[in-house]
Amino acid sequence: MKVNTNSNVYIIIYSVVMVVIVAVLLAFAALALKPRQDANELNEKKTQIVKALGYDAEKVSYDEVVAEAALLNADGAVVNGDVAKVFAALQDVKSSCEAGEFPIFKATDGSVVVPLYGAGLWGPIWGYIALEPDMNTVKGIVLDHKGETPGLGAEIATPKHQAMYVGKTVFDGEELKGIILKKGGADANNPHEVDAITGGTKTSDGVSAMIKDCLKSYEPYFKASKATANEVSNELNTENNGK
Amino acid sequence: MASKSLKNLTAPLSGNNPVIVQILGICSALAVTVQLKPAIVMGLSVMVVTAFSNLVMSILRKGVPSRIRIIVQLVVIAALVILVDQVLKAFVYDVSKQLSVYVGLIITNCIVMGRVEAFALQNKPWDSFLDGLGNGAGYGMILVIIAFFRELLGSGKLFGFEIIPAEWYINNGGVYANCGLMLFPPMALIIVGCIIWVHRSFKKDLQEK
Repeated sequence: MKVNTNSNVYIIIYSVVMVVIVAVLLAFAALALKPRQDANELNEKKTQIVKALGYDAEKVSYDEVVAEAALLNADGAVVNGDVAKVFAALQDVKSSCEAGEFPIFKATDGSVVVPLYGAGLWGPIWGYIALEPDMNTVKGIVLDHKGETPGLGAEIATPKHQAMYVGKTVFDGEELKGIILKKGGADANNPHEVDAITGGTKTSDGVSAMIKDCLKSYEPYFKASKATANEVSNELNTENNGK
Repeated sequence: MASKSLKNLTAPLSGNNPVIVQILGICSALAVTVQLKPAIVMGLSVMVVTAFSNLVMSILRKGVPSRIRIIVQLVVIAALVILVDQVLKAFVYDVSKQLSVYVGLIITNCIVMGRVEAFALQNKPWDSFLDGLGNGAGYGMILVIIAFFRELLGSGKLFGFEIIPAEWYINNGGVYANCGLMLFPPMALIIVGCIIWVHRSFKKDLQEK
């Protein structure tokens, strides 16, 4: 029997069968590969946190350097210390932060890592910034992007660019300055500036805005930690003076 | 392998190159060639997709209703691209991150649909598979040539390694500066033009009278 491949019935049956087969195939592939993809993503996040702290992620594991992970509320108090919950929140930092839960990681040496999220020129940009125990000096930063222009905006993801942030400070006295990517080159005397990327001005502006906006949510926590740190050092001083 | 089948594989490398002779896939050739590494991975991914979409469509060719063949082609190509993307994400996460949006962009690459429409629908599966492989390779080859010049002259690097000595730069007292224009897509179009010029001056039969 010769089938008329241009009859309406044939076309409708053909398309239905085709769509069902393709849907089953893709759904099967997605489900089968999901655990591996999730494991990759979790591993990637842990690696980025370790890198932000300035360690070589191939030599040092996450568990060795991070003491605890927690979710903070807007006042800087810990609301949840469950590690699984914190990583679940990292899946979508933006909605988590908008819901008033801010993930934070405390390293064994007292420094902290917080996630960053923002917008570049073409799409989302994100990263992690690590601050020294003084909650002011940048210990390290990791930046990544979805689709910034290779060779221009995408340069924010290179170690060379990220090395410039180390040692800069985010607070000017009590005022949060963040880190500004300065077009035309940073002023060497300004501790809050780094060089912007030539040809990547919009991406650079996005990074500046992202650092300031994200750190702002943690400001109460940073100030509280600083106060405790000062008290401790004052107590130490008093003790030392007493002796 | 019969010599006729082999020709399907080799013709797209030069005489029937998809980019510089058929002038297909120019848009993505401009977008992904700022650096060599993404250009190479993109070339490989396109090879996989063109080869397998040609194969699948060639097997299906007798049953496809000709009135909806473009839709069928799109479904097959899109499914393959999503599959490639998923596999890259699961097994080579780093590469998948490097390519980001480009993998999805393969769907819009005119070469894939062009070859399915022009070749796979009239030819046997094995020939179609080789044709797809050859066209993907021809596309990848041009991408690598463009990316070589753009990365070398635009950022002074190859595969991210510094090639131009640091002391040559004006900032360090030398006389050399990177060509910023190389980093932008228009320069890639000019390079494509130059490649076509050189290619045609060797292949006289391609010159139009």
